[in-house]
Amino acid sequence: MDGEKKLTARTLKYHLNTTLINTIAFSGIIILVILTSFIINESIPALTNVGAELFTSVYWYPTNSFDPEFGILAMLVGSLYITGLTALFVLPLGYIIAFFLFEYASASEVRVIKSAIDLLSGVPSVIIGAFMLVYVAPLSFKLNIYTPENILIASLGLTILSLPYTASLMQEAMQSVDRSLKEGALALGSTRLTAGFKVVSRAAISGILNAVILTVNRIIGETMVVLMVSGGAAIIPRSLFDPVKPLTATIASEMGEVATGSVHYSVLFFCGLILLVFSFLLTISARLIISKNKHV
Amino acid sequence: MRKALLVLLMIAVALIGFAGTMAIKGSNTVFPVSQLWIEELKEMYPDIEITLEGAGSTTGFTALFNGTADIANTSRWIKDKELDRMNEEGKFFIPFVVGYDGIAIVVNKDNQLDNITVEQLKGIYTGKITRWSQLNPNLPNQPIIFYTRNTASGTYETFEGKILNGERMDPRARMVESTQLEIDSIAQNPYAIAYTGYGYVNDKVKVLTLEGIMPSIETILTSEYYLSRPLFMWVDATDGFPETGDVKRYITFGLSKRGQELVDQAGYVGAYGK
Repeated sequence: MDGEKKLTARTLKYHLNTTLINTIAFSGIIILVILTSFIINESIPALTNVGAELFTSVYWYPTNSFDPEFGILAMLVGSLYITGLTALFVLPLGYIIAFFLFEYASASEVRVIKSAIDLLSGVPSVIIGAFMLVYVAPLSFKLNIYTPENILIASLGLTILSLPYTASLMQEAMQSVDRSLKEGALALGSTRLTAGFKVVSRAAISGILNAVILTVNRIIGETMVVLMVSGGAAIIPRSLFDPVKPLTATIASEMGEVATGSVHYSVLFFCGLILLVFSFLLTISARLIISKNKHV
Repeated sequence: MRKALLVLLMIAVALIGFAGTMAIKGSNTVFPVSQLWIEELKEMYPDIEITLEGAGSTTGFTALFNGTADIANTSRWIKDKELDRMNEEGKFFIPFVVGYDGIAIVVNKDNQLDNITVEQLKGIYTGKITRWSQLNPNLPNQPIIFYTRNTASGTYETFEGKILNGERMDPRARMVESTQLEIDSIAQNPYAIAYTGYGYVNDKVKVLTLEGIMPSIETILTSEYYLSRPLFMWVDATDGFPETGDVKRYITFGLSKRGQELVDQAGYVGAYGK
């Protein structure tokens, strides 16, 4: 009798503990599942009510009371355009910084550059957005460009924002390569440039590609900077100085004032779903690259 | 797990159940006015509970019919259809004019243009007029950079209704997140034009006359200025005028001197005491 009681108390304690630990351990997954199903659930009305027009139309007139139109194509192109351009700026810059830190910098230089990068990575995106808007954008008037908020400015802002992230990731990737490879290359008479560029970088290629993908993932989801300086016009851009309205900026700008449950509301969630799908695909490809190159 | 969810659900239900003894719904234009009033009312009467939702004037009337709102904020007069429904259901709603929304058309200080017509404004915002020289040959042959407000904002609603008249705004319109930012952009950009609530205009920008009439408190209150419209709050008086209670406290405060000052602060023109 007594033993049984003890047993139940112990079992209870055991179950309680495992439940608690499991709940905490799985909370990330649970949140992800809830979030994803919530977004999918909210986007369904967009697909049933608007359908193909979402991707075929470039006209975004969600609140037009006479003839609303919900084409997100222009905004999707805007998102991709800005992301591509930013990647074009930030990836080479990040690689050069990482390369310099790994190959040429002295210990004190590494310390200074590393702490500068860390500090920069702590700057909130809204500060970078405000800086671009107030100090950099007006410079375009001097160049006779009268659309101060444009793709180029937004991309520069995003470059500042993601540079520390890219540089650290790439540096980590290069640092994870075994020293013997670099030393071997140098011993065989290669220059430091060749050793770093042809031997170490090649060995670190999976890490570097991973850094590329994570950077792109981060840029495409960034909201504050593009909300502030991309111009907010939902058009297909024809030049670097055209304004665009990326998906993230649209959601941020309109979600606060949209009528809950309306088609407009649902389409905004659909925009979120697209961003989520992008992020999902990018993360999976990063995983694939890493697992494929594990033998290196 | 299930128990925890149940508890959460119960808390949520309880919160929804107890909150909001008084509900206000309707126009996004009037939204900031209500918001400011509620903030001060809560200081005066800590026990008052008000929920506020902005989702358009039509939603406001619908909520008033359904009884899900005590006050409907609208930026337009009641429609014939709504009047008919009111008569059918034997209901009686009464309007209070709380202020006027006047929209000023602003350009850079260096711009030589002084007056603009409704037709020209429509041309610019629908993308048919793209260069300043098309308005007046003496103006520079430069593109017109035109700014607009967030499509959900009340100012946009008014502008769309009164200027665009059913046509779509050109997608090249630049959208900015705040009125202040809009004003600053105009102050810097010699080829920009924008519309903004009269209350936000400052001397960094130049205000254009519209059809020859300068927006001012007088011309807006008399609607002599074209881009002006009254803002209403509708109260259900089917069971008699609400002489006591939260609705009355709210309206009385709103029409007081302080309430009307807050209308100005929201960027509009107070209807009384001018």
